[in-house]
Amino acid sequence: MGEDTTSLGGIHISPGAIATIAYHATLESYGVVGLAPKNIADGIVKSITRDPARGVTVRYNGEDIDIEIHIIVEYGTRINSVAESVGNTVRFHVEKALGLRVNKIDVHVAGLRISDSD
Amino acid sequence: MAVNTARVQKLRKRQIDGQSLKRLVEAGMTWLRTNQQIVNALNVFPVPDGDTGTNMSLTLTAAYNEIKDSGEKHLGKMANLVAKGALMGARGNSGVILSQLWRGFARAVQDHETLDAETLVKAFAESRDTAYKGVVRPVEGTILTVSKGIASGTEAGLASAAKRDAIDILEIAVKSADESVKQTPELLPVLKQAGVVDSGGKGLFFILEGMLRHVYGEALDTPLISVHALSAMNFENAMQEVEEGQDYEVVVDFFPQGEFDLAKFYGRLEEMGTSIQVGEGDGMYRMHIHVPLEKRYEPIDYVMELGTITKVAMENLLAQMDDISKSTQQQPIKFNAVEPNQIGVVVVSPGAGLSRIFASLGVAAVVAGGQTMNPSTQDILAAFENLPTDKIIILPNNKNIVMAANQAKDVTVKQVAVVPSRTVPQGLAAMLALQPDGEVDAVAEKMTKALSAVKTGEITVATRTVEIDGVSVKDGQVIALLDGKLVVSAGSVEEGCLGFLDKASAMEHEIITLFYGQDMQRNEANRIADIVRAKYPKQEVEVQEGGQPHYQFIISVE
Repeated sequence: MGEDTTSLGGIHISPGAIATIAYHATLESYGVVGLAPKNIADGIVKSITRDPARGVTVRYNGEDIDIEIHIIVEYGTRINSVAESVGNTVRFHVEKALGLRVNKIDVHVAGLRISDSD
Repeated sequence: MAVNTARVQKLRKRQIDGQSLKRLVEAGMTWLRTNQQIVNALNVFPVPDGDTGTNMSLTLTAAYNEIKDSGEKHLGKMANLVAKGALMGARGNSGVILSQLWRGFARAVQDHETLDAETLVKAFAESRDTAYKGVVRPVEGTILTVSKGIASGTEAGLASAAKRDAIDILEIAVKSADESVKQTPELLPVLKQAGVVDSGGKGLFFILEGMLRHVYGEALDTPLISVHALSAMNFENAMQEVEEGQDYEVVVDFFPQGEFDLAKFYGRLEEMGTSIQVGEGDGMYRMHIHVPLEKRYEPIDYVMELGTITKVAMENLLAQMDDISKSTQQQPIKFNAVEPNQIGVVVVSPGAGLSRIFASLGVAAVVAGGQTMNPSTQDILAAFENLPTDKIIILPNNKNIVMAANQAKDVTVKQVAVVPSRTVPQGLAAMLALQPDGEVDAVAEKMTKALSAVKTGEITVATRTVEIDGVSVKDGQVIALLDGKLVVSAGSVEEGCLGFLDKASAMEHEIITLFYGQDMQRNEANRIADIVRAKYPKQEVEVQEGGQPHYQFIISVE
């Protein structure tokens, strides 16, 4: 998927483009205070290349789109609900923008941020 | 809705301690629950946050459960318990935000034994700050904006007069929340397009209003107005309770133009008649009312002022009631009468609703049976013998009954062909290929070919823990079978349905029919159908009563 052939030629949507949509949708999700790189190497590469979608990995798996997101959650929120709503929001925005079905969204909670202690 | 002034006077003199907070939370929860449907109806799109009213209500209920048995007098400690309960029970996006609001509130009052105006204002501000910290990029025009509106409204209110008490502040908070909610469409274009206000913000408003209504001594359990999803409107029931003098049923579909004030709308309708129901779907409203004969055009004239009418239906209820009592409930199923040299079809059907559908497709006889209640060869034989024809085709509609059907075929002297349908949808598909005047074997062959035209889904609850075909299932989980093969295990029926449709690649098909079982309510089935419709907008989604036991749904995809 991600490819479409019209009479004028092909349309290809890169994983990076989808990742950007997912990235912004994630940041608008309540409870998410940031995204985290998957691992150190990935973090360095993405910092150097100024990847606009750090923490989001998009893969085409045959016909399917798989998305993986690493988030940092505000301490004191119910993590489960936050992660679930990230999944919902990202799916909604990506599917709305592309008209393609997202097969799977894995949300990893990479860390918590403590902004107040109470 | 009269404000009990004496009560308010008395409350103003009292201290607001932990126990008072408990009563306020209870009031907020009750009022939100009462108006849950209104909040749910405000959804712009089915996702991301599908059922805001329900989520907020469940979150607040969890908070209340945490404190309902507590005798704590200290306000701060009680507020902490509320925040803890809300956090643990937070459901959905709006629920998480609500729990953050309570967390901020609790932090602001933690050292206070009682609540005064200054503390309450500070608590509203702290709620807002805590809620905003939970997101990198706050979206305005949501519950966050409303929390901001409340905080700044009460701050200004406190400063504007010399002496305010906490009840004054609560009054200001409700007013600010209301104004702020009304502003949300200006801030969030998607709300404006859909012509609604933000659902989470409205939920927050109801919580505060419930608290204020408690102070005023007003009722909390009767909704101001209610709006159903279109498919949930049930006119059959409404009709059974016809009041004296309300002879006409008027149903009007319309698209409101400009601002649509539901409360006012209800008010006017109540002056005209009874049994009022209002439903909404995709911006179209449907209004249902019972009115006396001489007023039968009034609702139509009134709605015409409000927007564009697309459809009007008017029925004389007295005549209808007559009809109903004549053909009461047990409408016998009318089977196709076969001529002696025509083909008669016998089907095995697991439920009354399905039997009715089969009958409408031209079936000559039905044998009751299905999973776990296989009919005997004898039962099937009896059905063969009772038909006035020698040419018979049987649809077993279950793989366990195919054998009994074959045995019955061997025993009878009549000419019988077995079309090996393994599921009900297959049987229905086969019926469409029936030609009553053809030759048994040729027709049976055509019908057998038609079996592969549909995919069958069966949604049921697992009775034991097992792993089959790589799907692991726990006892009590919902499972979905695709053409008899286990494909999905899920936490709920709707998840199961969606999971199945996904596996059946329903996107590539045209018609999805949901036959709901005897354990399923029509409303619930319709609700799930709405979810399916939202997910499969290009497919035609139908809901039919199946009446089968064990299976919540039998689904046909073609």
